[in-house]
Parts: sequence; structure tokens; C-alpha cells
Amino acid sequence: MKRAFLGEFEEVVMLTVAILDEEAYGVTVTQEIEQKTGRSVGFSTVHTTLQRLEEKGFLASRMGGATAERGGRRKRFFTVTAAGRKALRDVKQVREELWRSLPPQTLQLITG
Amino acid sequence: MPNATKPPHWATQLLTWWGHPDTREDVQGDLLELYHYWVRTVGKRRADWRYCLNALRLLRPLAKSKQAREYPPPFLLSPDMLRNYFTIAWRNLNRNRAFSAINIVGLSIGLATCILISLFVFDELSYDRYNEKADRIVRVVFKGTMNGEKMREANVMPLVAKTLESTFPEVQATTRIRSGEATRFAYGDNEFKEERFYFADSTFFQVFTLPLIKGDTRTALSQPNTLVISSATAQKYFGNDDPIGKVLTVKARQTNYTVTGVFAEVPTNSHVHFDVLGSMATLPEANQANWLISNFFTYLLLPEGYDYHKLEAKLPRIVDTYMGPALKQMTGISLAQFREQGNDVGLFLQPMTDIHLHSDLKPETELEPGGDVRYVYIFGAIAVFMLLLACINFMNLSTAGASKRAKEVGIRKALGSEKGKLVGQFLVESMLLTGLALTLAVGLVYLVLPLFNELSGKALRLDMVQTPWILPALLGFGLVVSLLAGSYPAFFLSSFNPIAILKGGANALRVANGRTSIGLRSSLVVVQFFVSISLMIGTTVVYRQLSYIQDIKLGYDKEQVLILEGTSALGKNEAVLRQQLAQDARVVNASVSAFLPNTRYNVGLVSMQPEGNARQLTRLALFGIDDQYLPTLGMKLAAGRNFSAANQTDGFGVIINETAARHFGWGNQALGRKLLLPSINGQRDTDRTYEVIGVVRDFHFRSLHERIAPMVMFNSTNSGCILVKTRTKDVAGLLASVQERWTGFNTDEPFRYGFMDEKYQSMYEAEVKTGRILSLFAGLTIFVACLGLFGLATFSAEQRTKEIGVRKVLGASVTNIVALLSTDFLKPVLIALILASPVAWYAMNRWLRGFAYKIDIEWWMFALAGIAAIGIALLTVSFQSIKAALMNPVKSLRSE
Repeated sequence: MKRAFLGEFEEVVMLTVAILDEEAYGVTVTQEIEQKTGRSVGFSTVHTTLQRLEEKGFLASRMGGATAERGGRRKRFFTVTAAGRKALRDVKQVREELWRSLPPQTLQLITG
Repeated sequence: MPNATKPPHWATQLLTWWGHPDTREDVQGDLLELYHYWVRTVGKRRADWRYCLNALRLLRPLAKSKQAREYPPPFLLSPDMLRNYFTIAWRNLNRNRAFSAINIVGLSIGLATCILISLFVFDELSYDRYNEKADRIVRVVFKGTMNGEKMREANVMPLVAKTLESTFPEVQATTRIRSGEATRFAYGDNEFKEERFYFADSTFFQVFTLPLIKGDTRTALSQPNTLVISSATAQKYFGNDDPIGKVLTVKARQTNYTVTGVFAEVPTNSHVHFDVLGSMATLPEANQANWLISNFFTYLLLPEGYDYHKLEAKLPRIVDTYMGPALKQMTGISLAQFREQGNDVGLFLQPMTDIHLHSDLKPETELEPGGDVRYVYIFGAIAVFMLLLACINFMNLSTAGASKRAKEVGIRKALGSEKGKLVGQFLVESMLLTGLALTLAVGLVYLVLPLFNELSGKALRLDMVQTPWILPALLGFGLVVSLLAGSYPAFFLSSFNPIAILKGGANALRVANGRTSIGLRSSLVVVQFFVSISLMIGTTVVYRQLSYIQDIKLGYDKEQVLILEGTSALGKNEAVLRQQLAQDARVVNASVSAFLPNTRYNVGLVSMQPEGNARQLTRLALFGIDDQYLPTLGMKLAAGRNFSAANQTDGFGVIINETAARHFGWGNQALGRKLLLPSINGQRDTDRTYEVIGVVRDFHFRSLHERIAPMVMFNSTNSGCILVKTRTKDVAGLLASVQERWTGFNTDEPFRYGFMDEKYQSMYEAEVKTGRILSLFAGLTIFVACLGLFGLATFSAEQRTKEIGVRKVLGASVTNIVALLSTDFLKPVLIALILASPVAWYAMNRWLRGFAYKIDIEWWMFALAGIAAIGIALLTVSFQSIKAALMNPVKSLRSE
């Protein structure tokens, strides 16, 4: 079966959405990535990625949870779909296979 | 939330406009939330920076929503919506029948006027353009100055055409036209007088576009004594026989003409019309090397794209070469000397398309009276104004009626209609209304066209079959008008806030409808009355000038003077008839002359100089009269005596007018002075000298457009007309007995007569026409303006029902309330008067400048127009305000 391709940043975003569970929307995802990875990401980048992932069918969204701070505007909450989960699993599996096939001395060097 | 933590407005706005429509809400929310977070963590400056950066990167200006909407709004022009629009529009029209009628009638009058005037203007602008080579044809004209008198003549000397063609290679073809005067032609027993008879060169058809139904354009006019005639004329003489080769006879001159061609008809928009066109080869004088007599209308065909000014610049050479020697021969002075005296003569070119509207030549030298571009401008302006007035009415009434539509707008918006859809709906409504008005207007145009043609002296037609572009033009016109008139109300009505309207009812509307729109409506009323007052002032001035023309002391008595025309045909019996008439008890006096003031029998000019002073050679108007002429027309002598039959030497005496005496510097000592008439051929010994025996008081022998010119009267037995001064009321009886005598002389000439005062009137036909048309349009604009005012007053009274009720309860009288409601409308009318007065003054001053003798524009003319406008406005408004004031306050206050 053809494996889904996920970019590195996409993978990060997907994972973050999964971590945040029910609370994943633009703002939280951005902040979470910043905190967890320590890298400064622009909101626009995150937003665009979320949109792209939704288009690919890895994420699903629903609207809700307006607050006064947002000027009464609703949030778009994201959840990982079954296809998304499978994609994540695939990526992980590929990684693990790759790690496993490393020769011991090289592994030693990297993890050292 | 404090102001300090608000993100830059522009970035938010950009995002609203050009963000992705599907994610607009959550993106804006997210950004806002993040912004507050950034302000807390990194400070406002950086937060602003990040906000803007992110906003800019999220712009998707070309993105379109991909979401299928749950309830897609119906397409604006879907049949169901259209049906709904029409239903609603129809119900609205029906509910406010009076206003709909005012709207439609006002608009249709405006449209009809506009259509009529457009027809007129297009016709005026189309003159001579039917010629395929119209842009390449120029006419040679003669201009000059002679002793202060300006000469601007449309015709030139016989050999100008030939000379120009042989001298300048850029002249590709030439043709000449010469008037043939009214002539009686006979074919067997069919004898008719042809008024529109001209001669033309055989090259006529190369220059002008006039296809021949029968005959060959290359040969038709090449032989002497040949004619081409119009098909109607052919029908008249020959019935259905083939006219080619038939011979028409002119008995008076015992000449025969052979018909060589038949043309359909000269288009009405031509500067010359003829039924019969003779060959120029018939006329021996057409080839005479005479450089001092102008009789030939000369047209040149130039190469395509050639600037005629280049040729015009070379024309002085021709004048020097040919006219100079002729002048020297006649007057004894050379062209250079002639110019030194401040005189000049020259040939100039005039594009054919300028002849009708842009000619500065003397109208009496023209083939036919032309148009005037000023009238085209005036009428064009009137058309635009009328349309504007009607559109303003439409806007005014629609916005004033907004209160009735407000609830509808509110509900439509609450049910999800968008602003654009509402605008569309109201535009459809205005198109419907305009469509109705346009249909009515076209009907009106058909109805009024004969009357308008009579007024304007044209033969305009609104023929949708013959001119297929008229229908699309009308439809396009209607569309433009409906957009023009409907767009403001559409945007105004659709901008209402649904919550305010549905909650607050009329109050909210008053806010929406508030000061600005009242100001706007008043200024629209100002515009309307500005136009109508200007036209009223204009009409007053024109009519005052016309009555001035009527009442001015002409210096002769034009009343009760009968003119018998064509009496020269009687030969010797002309004098006999005069004698018989003079002895009639009903006749005061009778005179024979071919020279009548203020008629077309008034074209004589003669160049004379005081004896011993060649420098004062002057063109004088020439009258040939008998001894009865002055008493018959009641002319007075300022000095000297009249001609006398008893005095043999009177053949060498002349009577001059006071202007001539002043011109020669003789003042009161004119009697006994000598005037020299230089002979044409330059032989000094044939010059003739005349002695001034009398000075006639100045009288207006030309139209009042011109100053009285110097004139000289010779005692001569010329013939042409008999003038009869009558003293009877029974003119019909007199005419009958004259006609009896006429037939007794056994002449072929039909009995024709006219009256001096009528002939005088006909000189000012153009002015009378202008007056009539102006007053017609003044009436129409006032009517349309009043319609609008009436509608506004009604709405204003309706809106103030409660106020009036309260006022009445508190003790206001009917007069108080009428005054209250009326003064509102007086202000705009007064402002309009103040604005219109200087404009009208300027325009009418320009118009009056065309007259040498004219009235002064006086203040009362403005006052009159102002009072009339105020009166009409008050009358219109009072109908509604009295109705409102008489209303029982109980009724108006009960329903709260």
C-alpha cells in the first residue's frame, strides 16, 4: 500500500494537535509548538499547515467556543482523523525501521 | 478592553477584505487572541509587528469560498426573484397611484422632450453629410471691407472655379451653382411655376452625391438647355411617361430645355434644395471674365485628408492677379491703394459641413437660410436639463417615499437579503418605471412631432423601420436614464439598518432620512426651479424683443399696404393698373416698384462716390422708385423734395437717406451735392453724375439685426410690384375687383398678392419660432418642476401629520400651518431665482447682441419670472398644505 507522505513540520503539527486533544486550534497549536520545540513559528505558517492537512484529510475541524477575547469570533478546533492517525503511525514505523537498521557502532556514535 | 491593546486597524481591515473567505472568522479570532498573548509576553510594539506580518501573510486576495452554503441565496435574476420584484413593484405603483402617475408623467415628459430635441439636433448636425465626399468639399466665399461696410458673401465671380482648378493641382474638381429664379415651365397644357430652380455645372455629380434614377450623371448637364428634374416634378409634368428627352418650355424667355435626367429628391438635410437643375452651359455669363460681379456658388473637391487652410493661404495670389486689374479699371485705384484706405477684398474657403451651422456669411447671399449653431447648443442644453429635472423628480419622490418602503427593506434584510440584491431590486423597479415612461414618451413624441415640425420648420420623423438604430438607441437611453434616476434611491433605500427600522419604525427612518437628504432634496428643487426660471426669463426677453420689433417706428407705414406681385408680366399695363388703382375710392395711393423694405425685393446695391472724392466710393443700398413711392409708404423727407413726374431732370436726381448724408459728411447740407456712379468698364466718359434733390428720413429697410445702411433712391420706371395703400376695411372686396382687372389684362401670370405687415412679420420667423419653442419648454419645465414639488409637499405634509395635529391642538390656526408648510418650499425657489438671474441675463444679452436695434433687459423681467415661479410653487404646495392644515387633529393624533 502506498504510504502517505508527511513533511517534518506537518508531522510536528499533527502530533501537537493529537497532544492537545480537544483543545487544538490555531492559537494553542502555535503556542504548544513554541513551548515543546522551542522554535519560534509564525501563526500564518501553522494556520496554512493546518489548512493543508485538513485538505489532505488528516485533520477534521469544527467551529465553536467563541470568547470575548477573540472579539466574539469562534475557534476552529482540529482533531486527527483516522487517516491522520494512520499517517502518523506510518511515519513512526518508517522511522523506527530506519533506526533499527542502523549498525550498532553508528548507533553508538549518535546516541553516544 | 483598553485601547492600547488593539491591533493596527488597517491590518484587520485588509484581512477582512482579502482574507480567505472560508476561514475569515477563525483566523481573525486566532490572531486577535494571539495578539493579546504577544502584548503580554513581548510588548505592544512587537505584538503589532507580528500581528501585521501574520495578517499580511494570510491575505488570499484571489481565494473563493469552497463551501457550499446550506441555503444558497437565489440568483438575483432568477425567474422567481424577477417575478417577485415585478409583483412588489407593481403593488407599490398601484398603492401610491398619485405618486406613480406624477413620476411616470414627469419622466415621460422629460424623455419625450429629450427625444424630440435629439432628433432636432441630430438633423441639424447631419446637414450635407449625406454627400459621400462631404469632408473634402469646400466652398469659395468672398469677404472684404469697403468703407467700413463688411462684405461676407457666399457666392463668387464666374471664373473663380475655372481659375482655381487650372492654377492649383490640389483642386480635383469644381462645380458651380447659380440661382435661376422662379420660372414658369410648360409641357403642353401642364404649366407650373418652379420656385426651386438652379443652374449647375456638368461636374455637379462628381462633387455632390445625387444619384440619377434615369439618365447618366456624366452627360446629364453637359449640353446647353438641358435639365435634370426631381421625380415628383417629372410626375407633375409628364405623368407616368418617360421624362428623358421631353422638352420643357419657358414661354417668357422663349427657350426650350430638354430633360436629360431624373433624381429622386434632394435630402432635406442639404443646404440647397432644387426641383429643377438646368445646365450651366445654358448661361452665357457663366464664362464671362467678370471679376466684380458675384453670382456663382463655387464648390471645390480637395484630396482626401488635405487641410483646406493650405489652399486658402494661396488664394490672395488669385485676388491680386485677377481682381486687382478689374478694380483698377472700375475705380481707377489699384488694389494696393484700395487696401491703404482700410478696404480689403479676398477669397476664402468654407468647408461644406460648416455651411449650415457655422456660416458667418450674410444670410441674404446664401442659397437658402441656414441654421444657427447657437440654437443647437440652447436646445441641447434644454434637453439635458429636462432629463435632469425628470430624473431629479424621480429621485426626490422615491427617497421621500422611503418611509413606505422601509419596513419592506427591514424584513427583506432580516430574511437574508443582501444589500446588493436590494439595490438590484430597486434598480429593476426603476427600470420598470422608466420603461413605462419611455413607452409613454415615444407615444407622446409621435403625437407632438407634427406640431414640433411646424414650430421648428423641419420634417423630422421617428421612424423605427427606416432607421433601425433608433430602437436600440431608445432602449439604451432608457437604461441609462433608469440607472441615473434609480441608482441613488436604490442605494439610499437599501442602506437602511434593519434593526433600527423594525424596532424604531418611523423614528429610525427620520434619522436615516434626516438632514442630509432633506438638504439634498431642497437643492434638487433649487436646480429644477433654476432651469424653469431661466427659461421663463428667456421667454420674456424674446417676447419683449418681438413686440419691440412689432412696435418699432420703422420710418414708413406698413399697415394696410397691399402688394401685388409679379406685375412686371403686365408690361405696359402695369402703369395702367396702377393708374386705375390710384383712382379707386378705397385706395389712398399706389406706386410701382421692385424695391420693398424688409422683403426679398430688397437686394439692390450700387457703388457710388461723392464727386471729386474717389476715396469715398461706397456701396449703397439701391431703391428704384417712382414719384408715388414715398407718399404711398408714408415716408417723410428730412430735406428737399420728392421726385416729380413734371420735372424732366429728375432722372438725374437722387434721394438719399439721412445715414448716407452723414456718411458722406454732408450733415444738413446734402441738397445739391453730386454723386458719381463710375461706369463698369472704367471709361471715364460714361460715368454718370446725380444730384441730391432730397433726403429721406431714415427708415428700416433691412431687418433689425442690422443698422440702417446708407442708401440711395433713383427715380426710375422699374417694375415688379404694385404697392397699394388702402383705406378700406373691405379688403376682400378690393382684392376681388383687382383680380377682375388682372384677368382683364389677359396675362399668363397668376394673380399674386401679399400684405406689407405680413411680409415684415415673416422676416422674423426664426425669432418667432425661438420664442414659441422657448415658451413651450419653459412651460414644460415648470410643469415637471411643479409635479416634483407637489409630490414633495405631499410627503412633507404626511410626515408632519402628528406635528400639525399637536400644533392645532395647541391653538395654531389654519393660516399658521399653511404658512409653516409653504415657507419651507419658498426658500429653494428664492435661491433658484437668485442663481438664475445672472445666468439668464448673460445668455439673453448674448442673444440680443444679434440685433442692431434691441430692448434693454430690465429688472422687472426677473421680478416677473420670480413672482410667477413663487406663485406657481405656492399654488402647488398650498393644495397639500391646506389639506393638511384642515385635517382634524383628533384623527391624526388618535393612532399612537
